[in-house]
Amino acid sequence: MENQGQLVDSSKNKKIFKILEPIGRNLGLTLFAMFALFPLVWMVVCAFKSDAQMYNTVFIFHPTLENFRAVLVGTDYFRAFFQNLVVAGGAVIITVIAGVPCAYALARYNFKKKEDVAFQILSFKFAPEILVILPIFLIFQKIGLYDTYFGLIWVYQLITMPLLIWVVRGYFEDISIEVEQAAQLDGYTWYEVFFKTLVPLIKPGLVASALLAFIFAWNSFTFPLILSGFEIQTITITALRYIASDTVHYGQVAVASTIAVLPEVIVALFIQKHLVRGLSFGAVKG
Amino acid sequence: MFGSSTKKTGGGINYNEIPARIRRRPYYIIAPGLLILIGIMIPFITAIFLSFTNYSFRLPKWGFVGLKNWINMFTGKEFYHALGVTLRYGIFATAAEMLLGTGVALLLRKDTRYSRILKVLFTFPLMVAPAIAVLIWQLMTSNTVGILEKVLNIFGIYNFPWAASHSTALFTAILIDAWVNTPFVLLLVLAGIQSLPKSPFEAAAVDGAGAWFTFKTLTFPMLKPFMYIALLFRLMAALQEFGIIYALTKGGPGDTLMNISLTGYINGFTYQKLAAALPYLLILWFIINKTAQFLVKRQRHLAQQAAGK
Amino acid sequence: MAQIELENITKQFGDVKALDNVSLTVRDNEFFVLFGPAGAGKTTLLKTIAGAEFPEKGLVKIGGNIVNHVESKDRNVSMVFENYALYPNLSVYDNIASPMRSKLYKKDEDYIKTAVDKVTKMMKINHLLERKPSQLSNGQRQRVALGRCLVRTPNVFLMDEPLAHLDAKLRHFMRGELKEMQTSINSTTIYVTHDYMEAMSLADRIGVLNHGEIVQTGTAQEMYYTPCNEFVARLFGEPEINILEGKKYAREDSVYVKVLEQDVLLYPSEDTIQALKETDTDDIHIGMRGNDIKFAFEKPGDEWLEGTIYANEPIGNKVIMTVLIGDTKLAVTCPNDTVAELDQKVYVKFNMMNAIYFNGETQKFIIRNNMSRYMAEKREG
Repeated sequence: MENQGQLVDSSKNKKIFKILEPIGRNLGLTLFAMFALFPLVWMVVCAFKSDAQMYNTVFIFHPTLENFRAVLVGTDYFRAFFQNLVVAGGAVIITVIAGVPCAYALARYNFKKKEDVAFQILSFKFAPEILVILPIFLIFQKIGLYDTYFGLIWVYQLITMPLLIWVVRGYFEDISIEVEQAAQLDGYTWYEVFFKTLVPLIKPGLVASALLAFIFAWNSFTFPLILSGFEIQTITITALRYIASDTVHYGQVAVASTIAVLPEVIVALFIQKHLVRGLSFGAVKG
Repeated sequence: MFGSSTKKTGGGINYNEIPARIRRRPYYIIAPGLLILIGIMIPFITAIFLSFTNYSFRLPKWGFVGLKNWINMFTGKEFYHALGVTLRYGIFATAAEMLLGTGVALLLRKDTRYSRILKVLFTFPLMVAPAIAVLIWQLMTSNTVGILEKVLNIFGIYNFPWAASHSTALFTAILIDAWVNTPFVLLLVLAGIQSLPKSPFEAAAVDGAGAWFTFKTLTFPMLKPFMYIALLFRLMAALQEFGIIYALTKGGPGDTLMNISLTGYINGFTYQKLAAALPYLLILWFIINKTAQFLVKRQRHLAQQAAGK
Repeated sequence: MAQIELENITKQFGDVKALDNVSLTVRDNEFFVLFGPAGAGKTTLLKTIAGAEFPEKGLVKIGGNIVNHVESKDRNVSMVFENYALYPNLSVYDNIASPMRSKLYKKDEDYIKTAVDKVTKMMKINHLLERKPSQLSNGQRQRVALGRCLVRTPNVFLMDEPLAHLDAKLRHFMRGELKEMQTSINSTTIYVTHDYMEAMSLADRIGVLNHGEIVQTGTAQEMYYTPCNEFVARLFGEPEINILEGKKYAREDSVYVKVLEQDVLLYPSEDTIQALKETDTDDIHIGMRGNDIKFAFEKPGDEWLEGTIYANEPIGNKVIMTVLIGDTKLAVTCPNDTVAELDQKVYVKFNMMNAIYFNGETQKFIIRNNMSRYMAEKREG
C-alpha cells in the first residue's frame, strides 16, 4: 500500500514538474533577455527623445530626429565613422592577404616548432594591450606613424591576425589532404589548387572570421585612444566625448551608440553559424 | 629535413632531396604573415629593454638604471593595490559570466521557437565595443534620465551611486563587463550542449536516473572542456580589462578601479613615466601567460578525459 | 601507358617506416594488385608513385624516366583515393570533368560532355550528375571518384580500394567492367585491395605487402598454391588455411611428421620427402586448406582422426565447420547442406597431396606436392 502511494506521489510530482518546468525555463530566459536586450532597446528609445522629454518621460513621448541631426550633420562623428571603417577594413584586408597563406602553412606543412609558432601567434591576443602600446607609441612617434592610417592598420594586426589565422587554420585542417592531391593529379598547379579548390571550400569560414575580425577592429578602443590624435579619430573614441562634456546630451549619446552598434549587429546576423568557432579561435567547432 | 640520404644518380642530381623550389614553398607562403607578426613583436622586446632604463617622454636624455623600476614597483604600495583590483575584477567578472552564461545556456537547451530567436538576439551585446557598452549603461544608470533609477525609486532607493561611489564602482564595471561578455560563455557552453552525444543520456533515462544525477555525472563532465575554453578567454581578457574601466571612471573614484592596465596607462601617459610603467605591464603579461598555459594544459587533459581516453 | 619501376623505396613517417626498401616493377599494360593487411603501406606506395609522397630513399620511374623530382601534375597519373577526395563544392559532373579542365589536360566542353556521359553510364551514376558529393551515398561517391579517374588516359591508373564501399552485387559487376576496360584500353593499373577474392579475380600479378615490405609477387595461382611463407598462405583463401605444427622424424627412405600434440602421424607424399629431409630443422608446419580435409560423422577407417564440432557457420555456398581436436581448431569446408550438432563427434582425414610445408622456425615455404605443375604455370605466365 505504501509503495503504491509513493508511486502515485512521484507520478504526481512528475506532472507538476511537467507543468512548472517550461514556466520556470521561460521565466528565466525572459529575465536574462531583459538584462541582455533591454539596454539596447533603451538606447534606441533614448535616441529619439528630445532633451526636454529625456528627463520626464519613459516610453511615451514625441519621437524626434533632432539628436540624429545634431550628431551627424556638421560634426566629426560622421568622419569618425568613415575613418573607423577605413582602419578596420584596411586591417582586415591586410590580415586576409597575409594571414590566409599563413593559416594554410600552419595547417598543412610540418616544420619544426610549428605548434610553438602557432601558440605564440595566439598569445599576442592575450598580451595586455597597454603593454604593447607604450613602446609602439614611442616607436610610432619616432618613425612618423603616430596618428596615421598605416600605423593603426599595422597595430590592428595584433587583434585581427591571430583570430583569422587560428580560425582559418581549422577550416583548412577540415579539408582532407587527398582533395589537394587529387586536384594536383588532375593537372592543376599548386596555386591553382589553392585558389580554385581550397579557397572556395574555406570561403564561408573565411568570410565569417574576416567579419568577426572586422568587428574586433571596429571595437578597438585602447589602440586608437593612444595611437591616434587629430588626423584619425575612431568611433569608439569620438563617442566618448558625448558623455564627457559638461552638459550631457543623453539623446546624442544614444544616437552615437546606436550608430556605432548598428553595423555590428547586422554583421552578427550574417555570421551566426560561424560565430562560436570564430569567437573561440577555432577551439570549439560549434 | 631529408638531408641524410647521399645517394646520387646521374649528373649529380640528388633524387632523394626535395627540389629547392618545392622545399622553399612553405617559407614563401608563411613569409608575409610572419613578417607582420615579427613587426608586432618588436614592442614586446622594446618594452623589456626600456623597463631597465629611466626613459620618460619629458626628459630628452635617458640611460640605464638597472632594476630600479622593478624595485620601486615591488616596494611601493601602488602595485599591490593594482594587483588586488586586477584580481578582484578578473575573478568576479569571470565568475559572474561563467555562472550566468552556463545557467542560461542550460535553459536554452530545449529547442523551442522562443529559444531559437533568443540565441540570435543574445549575440548582440557581444558585438558591442566596451567603450560603447559603457555609454549604453550610462543611459541606463544615469540618475536623471536612466530607467534603472526610476525602477529603484519604486523600491524606495534614490540616487543609487553606481560608478560614482567607492563601494559600488566595481559592481557597476563588472555589471557592464557581464552584459557584454556573458553571451560569449553562453554561446560556447551552448555549442558544447549541442555536441553532446545522445546515447549516454538515453541509457541514463532507461536506467531511471534522476535529472540531478544525470547532470552531475554526464552533462557537467562533458561540458567542462567547453567551459574551460570560455573560462580561459574570459579570465585572460578580464585580468587586463582597460576599455570599460577607462570609459567608465578612468580608474576612479580615487584609485578604486585602478587595475594594473590602468595604473600602467596613467603612469606611462598621464605622468609620462614610461619606463616606470613598464614593469607593471610586464608582470601582468607574465601572470596572464602563466594562467593561460595552466588552463590550456588542464583543458587538454579534460577534453581527453571527456573523450574517454 | 608505361612501365612503373620502384627501386629501393624507403618512406618514413616520424619513427614509423611506411615503406622499407621496396623494389617493384609493374609492366606496361599490367593489372597489378597490391594486397596486404591494413597499415601495410599500400596507400603510401600508391601515393609515392603519384607524387603525393616523397621517398627518402630510392627511385620512382615511370616509362623509364626518373620522376622523383617531377610534380604530381606532370606525372600524368590518375588516382582513386580511398576516401574519394571529391571536391565538395562541385557537382558530380564538374568533379568528373575536373581533370579535363586543367590547363595541362585541357579538352573542349563537347569532348568533356561525351567523356563524362560515357563514364557515368558505365558507373551507373548518370542520373546523379547535378548532385553534390554530400548528397550521395558512399557507394555513389566512390563511383564518382572512379569516374574522375577513368575519364583520362594516363600513364598509369592508381586505385586505392575503389570498390570497397559498393554493395556486393555492384562490386561484382564493377570488377568485370574494370577488367574489361583494362584489356580494351591497354592501361597499366595498380590496384590496392584487402579483399583476396578481388585480388585474385582481377590481377595479372599480385604483390603482397606487409609492414612496408614486399613479401611476395606473383600470379594469383602462385599466391594460393605456393605462398612464400605462412603469412601469405593465411592471406589467401576462406576459411583461413589451417597450420598444423609438427615434428619431423626422418627414416632412411621416408619422413613422417607428428602433429596435434604428437598423437597423429602424417606421411608426406613422395616428391616432397627429399626437400623435407634437407630442411635443417625438425619443426615443420603443415598448411592444410579447409577443402583438403575430408570429414565424416561415422568413423570410416582407422586413419581418420576423431574430433568434436566446435562451430558450424554457413556462408552462402558452403559451410565452414570448425573441428576441435585436442586443443587445435581446424576449419573444414563442407557442402552447404551439411547439418551438424555442436559437440557432435566428427572424423576428419587430411589430403596430403595438397599439403604445403613450411619451416617451423622461419615460417618460410619449403615444398608442396606436385611443384612442377605450379612452376610450369609460372613459366607460361
